[in-house]
Amino acid sequence: MSKHQERVKNWKLATEKSMQRFPERKQKFETSSKFEIDRLYGAETEDYDIEKLGLPGEYPYTRGIQPTMYRARYWTMRQYAGFGSAEETNKRFRYLLKQGQTGLSVAFDLPTQIGYDSDHAMSKGEVGKVGVAIDSLEDMEALLRDIPLDQVSTSMTINAPASVLLAMYIAVAEKQGVSSEKISGTIQNDILKEYIARGTYIFPPKPSMRLITDIFAYCKEQVPKWNTISISGYHIREAGANAVQELAFTIANGKAYVDAALEAGLNIDDFAPRLAFFFNAHNQFFEEVAKFRAARRIWAKLMKEHYQAKNPKSWQLRFHTQTGGSTLTAQQPDNNIVRVTLQALSAVMGGTQSLHTNSRDEALALPTEDSARIALRTQQIIAHESGVADTVDPLAGSYYVEHLTDVMEEEVKLYLEKIESLGGAVAAVEQGYMQREIHHTSYEIQKAIEKGNEVIVGMNSFTVENEVQPELLRVDPTLGEKQKEKLNRLKSARDHDRVSARLGALRQGAQGAENLMPLILDCVRDYCTIGEICGILREEFGEFTGI
Amino acid sequence: MNKKIRVLVAKPGLDGHDRGALVISQALRDYGMEVIYTGLRQTPEQIVAAAVQEDVDAIGLSCLSGAHNELFPEVMSLLKQRGADDIIVIGGGVIPWEDIPFLESAGVRKIFTPGTPTVETAKFIEAAVLERDGYPAPAGMEPPKKIDHIGIAVESLDEVLPFYVNTLGLKLEAVEEVESQKVKVAFLKIGQTRLELLEPMDEQSPIRQFIIKRGQGVHHVALGVENIASRIEELKKAGVKMIQEQPVKGAGGASIAFIHPSSTHKVLFELCEKPETEGGVS
Repeated sequence: MSKHQERVKNWKLATEKSMQRFPERKQKFETSSKFEIDRLYGAETEDYDIEKLGLPGEYPYTRGIQPTMYRARYWTMRQYAGFGSAEETNKRFRYLLKQGQTGLSVAFDLPTQIGYDSDHAMSKGEVGKVGVAIDSLEDMEALLRDIPLDQVSTSMTINAPASVLLAMYIAVAEKQGVSSEKISGTIQNDILKEYIARGTYIFPPKPSMRLITDIFAYCKEQVPKWNTISISGYHIREAGANAVQELAFTIANGKAYVDAALEAGLNIDDFAPRLAFFFNAHNQFFEEVAKFRAARRIWAKLMKEHYQAKNPKSWQLRFHTQTGGSTLTAQQPDNNIVRVTLQALSAVMGGTQSLHTNSRDEALALPTEDSARIALRTQQIIAHESGVADTVDPLAGSYYVEHLTDVMEEEVKLYLEKIESLGGAVAAVEQGYMQREIHHTSYEIQKAIEKGNEVIVGMNSFTVENEVQPELLRVDPTLGEKQKEKLNRLKSARDHDRVSARLGALRQGAQGAENLMPLILDCVRDYCTIGEICGILREEFGEFTGI
Repeated sequence: MNKKIRVLVAKPGLDGHDRGALVISQALRDYGMEVIYTGLRQTPEQIVAAAVQEDVDAIGLSCLSGAHNELFPEVMSLLKQRGADDIIVIGGGVIPWEDIPFLESAGVRKIFTPGTPTVETAKFIEAAVLERDGYPAPAGMEPPKKIDHIGIAVESLDEVLPFYVNTLGLKLEAVEEVESQKVKVAFLKIGQTRLELLEPMDEQSPIRQFIIKRGQGVHHVALGVENIASRIEELKKAGVKMIQEQPVKGAGGASIAFIHPSSTHKVLFELCEKPETEGGVS
């Protein structure tokens, strides 16, 4: 038996064994014509490049991080939702769970994301607009009312004040009687891409990195099932990057977090298994699939070879995918359903662990309940009707896809080398390097669209007149006032001495070097507001004002 | 005129998505304007202060967070307070159609929704600034001067003319045959404009085709323009489909060209340039 054959045989044995614990969805998978579908194709043939592709669930994970992938369990269908008040968002969450969604994903409004209370002057007009307004633990309790936190995992798109929101989540779980070891979910917590692409930063890079490594260390001990960061290419892509730049800058940022954590004295295998990634899916189907496959291979090599991680879990790149918001058009919004379908399919073909499908009306406003349901149905149809989830990594071995995967890996490496030569991701961000690269690409794309070299169906080609405008979701315009009143009531009902003691302790902690998570948790338990907590940190850390 | 137009591109509120703001800044620069970009998270006060200090001609506000209905009008009222409301303000971002009339009533000159070509925005700013400063607008950019005439397709002039002349009391100016369109035209003067009654001269006439398809009735609206050739170029650049890409000879010695109704929400428009000596039969 050749070495190759032996490796495949061992993989089969190991997979059979693990299936006793994690059985597949069906005893037997077949097509509509009753052809039996194998778990894996190609690996037994002689020209299969076993070093480059590996086997699913094995280094370098080109073909996926689990041996059976979606034959065992579909990806998590995790729709990003949140608007208006905590009560309203809670209603949407429970609607989505009832419709078969399998995980929650919270969108916060901009004041929350930037650490302002709803009554701050900068919050004017923004309260509850792009997400839910959370000022204090009281709002978080309303947001998660009647949602069993030991059964549902929750992703929170929160970055600069991630530690505050995570603390609130832990505190709500405690009140439900669920200990912090039992809760699971993800905080985005990726500040570098905020400087590069999304703009919701608060503090300068250095204290921001400290908050992030504090979370890594705290969760390792107290919240072991939590994904402590979701290193995000999504927003980099939305800001105008191409697929290579999305991947390269995300991995460069990932390296920066690993370096910061190592510098803070953590061991690689203690935090690396909880790092998660977040990618975008645009319309170029094969390139997107190749991007996801290349991403796994690059990260695995980096973690094993460069960082010498020993635990295979540290090598695995796990990722959430969201379809591309910026690819959607305001014109003929129903066309967006088709775009989202293609994009979602590329994420599934690329082996994503969870998926958000955008709603058709997002170029116009926040999604209505109808549009949100169609978006969820899109992934349910891919999962349950298309059969694409019945075999592992079905596009492997396609000459084109393998070529694109290799090219993607090479191009990303060039970027990583360039960023390294600038002093790493933090330095490159400070010099505005990634920002310039992205801006250049986005302007080129815009010019191509305007010249008609790039066809956008319904926008610069195949247009119609007299388009009927769809129904849009409107956020209650009086919400800002209501939220302010609620906050005022809370502030006068709190134990003032405890509040100021907690905030005082946080200030002291921020001046020193201790882990801030326990101090922040104490603050939120006593209903200090996000504005108060971030206010203290602003005073101690300073504010980032852009480059 | 060598005025270099200065524009402040601003991001009011907390929204951090500045791809659009950066792209439009670059596009306006490429168009030849001076552009100052404020960076993120500007209050209306900061934006207005910067605009006044930098002595800009125009402000472009970009907002994707839904806070536009509060922030844009505040910029407008602060400009007024500072006596700087001659600054032309435009907006863009994720802005629902139904909010546009409100924003425009607050003084925002125009809202550009996603998908607008950047050059359109640049030209709008240029035209608005030049108009404000009393410079002649560049050729082809001024709005059509008037409705030159309204064309009405009729089966027979003999049958309908008595209604127009006797019942409505309009003055019949002339009747003329236009070979290029194979029509016989009756001109009726009404104020500064005219009605044109169009009778097909044979079965090939476009008016005959129109009557077969849609019956008698309003056929086209003619917009009085100057410099019809550059107007056609202008429209073509904006993606508008023309029936005649070169002006043809119409009634009364006018140069005319029809715009394809597929580009005009189903209304047939004629561009109509009259010879210098307006008067008499047109």
